Amino acid sequence: MYIGIDVGGTCTDAVLLDNGLVRATAKVPTGSNDILTSLLNALDQIMKGVPAELIDRVVFSTTLITNFIVERKYDPVGLILIPGPGLSHVHYRYKTDTYIISGAIDYRGREIMPLRFDEIENAVVDLLNKDYKKVAVVGKFSVRNNKHEIEVAEVLKKYCPECHVEMGHQVSGRLSFPRRVVSTMLTCATRDKYSYFMDSVKEAMARRGITGSVFILKADGGTMPLGKETCVPIETIFSGPAASTLGVQALIPPGETSVVVDIGGTTTDLALILSGQPLLAARGATVYDQLTQVRALAVKSVPVGGDSIVERVGKEIVVYSERLGAPFCLGGPMPTPTDALRVLGLTSVGNEDKAREAMESLGKPLGMSCYDVANHITNLVIDIIIKEIDAMFLQWEQEPAYRVWEVLQKRKERPRIVVGVGGGAAGFITKIAAKIGCYPVIPPYAPVANAIGAAVALPTLQVSLRADTEQGYYTIEEEGFQGQIAKERFTEEDALTLANDWIKKRAKKYGLTMNIEKTEVTRRDVFTMVRNWVTTGRIYDICVQTPRGIMGHIGSRGDF
Amino acid sequence: MEKTGLIFFPAFDWAISPTHPEREERLLYTRDQIFEEGVMDLPQIKEFAPRLATLHDIARTHFCVPRVQSQVTEAHLIAAGSTLQMGDSLISKEIKNGFALVRPPGHHAMRVVHGNRGFCSINNEAILVEYLRRRHGIKKVAIVDSDAHHGDGTQDIFYHDPDVLFISFHQDGRTIFPGTGFTHELGGPGAYAKTLNVPLPPGTSDETFLYVVDNLILPVLNDFKPDIIINSAGQDNHYTDPLGSMRFTARAYADFTSKLKPHLAVLEGGYAIESALPYVNLAIILALAGEDYSYVMEPDYWPGRFQESQDRLAQVKKMVDKLLETWENRDKADIQKIFGTGKYYQKKKFIYYDTDYIEEEQFEKVRVCPDCPGYIIIESRGDRGYKQPVRIFAVSVPFQACNACQNEAYEIYDEAKNKKDFDYIYMQDKSTDTCISFDKKKGQEWVTEG
Ligand SMILES: [Zn+2]
Ligand SMILES: [Zn+2]
Repeated sequence: MYIGIDVGGTCTDAVLLDNGLVRATAKVPTGSNDILTSLLNALDQIMKGVPAELIDRVVFSTTLITNFIVERKYDPVGLILIPGPGLSHVHYRYKTDTYIISGAIDYRGREIMPLRFDEIENAVVDLLNKDYKKVAVVGKFSVRNNKHEIEVAEVLKKYCPECHVEMGHQVSGRLSFPRRVVSTMLTCATRDKYSYFMDSVKEAMARRGITGSVFILKADGGTMPLGKETCVPIETIFSGPAASTLGVQALIPPGETSVVVDIGGTTTDLALILSGQPLLAARGATVYDQLTQVRALAVKSVPVGGDSIVERVGKEIVVYSERLGAPFCLGGPMPTPTDALRVLGLTSVGNEDKAREAMESLGKPLGMSCYDVANHITNLVIDIIIKEIDAMFLQWEQEPAYRVWEVLQKRKERPRIVVGVGGGAAGFITKIAAKIGCYPVIPPYAPVANAIGAAVALPTLQVSLRADTEQGYYTIEEEGFQGQIAKERFTEEDALTLANDWIKKRAKKYGLTMNIEKTEVTRRDVFTMVRNWVTTGRIYDICVQTPRGIMGHIGSRGDF
Repeated sequence: MEKTGLIFFPAFDWAISPTHPEREERLLYTRDQIFEEGVMDLPQIKEFAPRLATLHDIARTHFCVPRVQSQVTEAHLIAAGSTLQMGDSLISKEIKNGFALVRPPGHHAMRVVHGNRGFCSINNEAILVEYLRRRHGIKKVAIVDSDAHHGDGTQDIFYHDPDVLFISFHQDGRTIFPGTGFTHELGGPGAYAKTLNVPLPPGTSDETFLYVVDNLILPVLNDFKPDIIINSAGQDNHYTDPLGSMRFTARAYADFTSKLKPHLAVLEGGYAIESALPYVNLAIILALAGEDYSYVMEPDYWPGRFQESQDRLAQVKKMVDKLLETWENRDKADIQKIFGTGKYYQKKKFIYYDTDYIEEEQFEKVRVCPDCPGYIIIESRGDRGYKQPVRIFAVSVPFQACNACQNEAYEIYDEAKNKKDFDYIYMQDKSTDTCISFDKKKGQEWVTEG
């Protein structure tokens, strides 16, 4: 049996899956300073009468890290940056003490400007004088050569052994210095919070005698074993939306193209499932206006929900993105879309008379009946959401392509079903679906789709290898690893073998017993280097991964 | 915010051959640099997806022998299509300017295409210009070619077109491929001085480069008042380029870009793929976006590294003065004295395709007409050496064609179909956007319309 638990800011949701069916669900409040109690409560509810030995696996997803970031509930992080030439350094102003030091590495990992020891020392001493205990060190092209970052980190460690130092190349191997800075800073800031979460989980497992494997969901919909060394904390940001999307994937028939609409109180989250596979974002996730390098599912947050304020402005009725409290029909101060749904009989939440009162107050000066106003408001909300759905598909179609085959395989796809999850979904989904010519689906267990998504998520492993035979070294993006190429003649086949070896190595490191024989090659670029008309080497840029997917579909009576 | 559009299409899976300068590796380090800098995340940059040009978009500009599909690969259609996408985005005001950072390049591709020359098969900028005129009603365009090689393909296509100003500065043709682009090449009788060439001595550095920009290019553009300025942004004038012998820096390319303010830039040559392209492309993008590019610098550069020789500068100043004089007096020029009288102005050309080893012999006739730029008749023979030469006959009717010229042109096309000296006959009517090609042996005619 499998357990999925989603630890949200307000609620902790849990499900127990048994032989492809949902056996129990739970929804308990998340204690602000005591995750452990809510975890135990949720476990007790779903495990009634189930011996702990039968639990094979528990997967967690959480938005806690995201919340810490949003609320800026973390210790300050000092920055030492090595940007070198390129973009103007005015781009590297952050809301923390930032030291820009000399030094530069180029795209091939060659040092083009050395570090200056006095500058490093000055920066370190200054940061320590200002009482920083956490420092992020990030260099441009450090993913091609980590020498500078390591040297600076060593100085820091020498002056302050107890300081927490995070290096850019360890956090993200992908190109983009500004995103690496943000990602490293956030990782540095949240690592201890993540440890606290991990400890609570381990404690809960121990107290309930669960000995099955424990995983955490990442923003890209894959899982990793829960452990200090296995996961960069910010990889778990947005695992909440990823969980809902995977949950929907498990609750609808395989292979469908669908839009997932999660209507909450103040925001509506949209995700796409294309031919059965959740869409990954082309670039890293954006965490409240900060661009990171976190690989994530493409989730779009639209600022409209059941509790959004509705007001009359002159002759117009306007839906705002703010929330002032509960809907009027639930004792709130202002009319909201939920009141409109109540009047139309599309929801049974709240007091109907109050809802009518809210609609009438808006409609009277315009000579509109309360039914007309309610209709108008739902249409406004639906139009906002549909516009964003169209934009998402358009954005997917217009994702850049850097290879001929990628341009040629571009396709257009339109959804067949609109899947509603979340509290406010029921009333809107049918209308949205009708407007864009789709079938509406509100799956059973929609309120705990996130926990189901966590429960069915599978570990994924990816290895991006870049080997430069002329320079004689290779890097593994996901591990921040740089190593020598041992062979004299290193071929494309050798590079593929090496990448697959690294998949095995990573699987072993993380104690994963998944099927790693069947990897798929998602990138295979070969660049012949020619200098003065002579071939001097090759660059292999190869990405292999274990297949993405979920354990199975709920109700399909699979063997999970 | 006014956006700068960018289409980056490095064609990582396309090469002329594995060791050819036009190979997969060419924009690899440029990719690394602009991605690592986070350029695509800058708020004023908008990245677009590449798209394919249609065969008709190509036929509107070129006579591909025997047909368009036999001269282009998908990569060519994507490079051209991406350029058109930038054009569309500009016209729709989605962007204020744009850069098609794409390969393969195109500025050596002429009106007739028997094969690949100078790494080019089809001319991206020319295809763009004809598209903008046809689809978006653009009237006047200026193309400024900053590649080290003379943009002879673009010059050929617009040589008789008074509404397209073509300015090319490049390394002196006596010292580099394709061996043309001299000051006396000034356009045909109907478009005199609408072609300007500035051959620069090998070794020319930034000071002279920017002198030409300030004292010739900008004043002429100011006079011509084009609706759209296009930059053929070749980068082989860079001091590290292996094919060129010039000494321009990334900084100067950026200065040039911010002075020229092109609406659209299209990548052309540039083969110092490590030492120049990452820095020059970054500098150009930042200049287009109005960003500070003063931090961009080649690793081996230091300010004052290249001192311009005063002799060279003086020599170029003289040339600039003369060109400026020609430009200013263009309307007073005695066209009949320069080009002769007669119903047609005609010229014989020999064109060498260095990539494909084809020798082309071309006879070009332009109808001299008081009411329009006149149609163009081309008889061309492409010789590959190892097999029978291919002989074609082509008629091109300009956008601005008068009725009489249009009728005459169709009569000539119909007559040519009966002549036995040609394998393929073409009609390219830009005024109605109709392209016809006739295969003599098969007796078959294909028509496309835009
Ligand atoms: Zn060139
Ligand atoms: Zn005429």
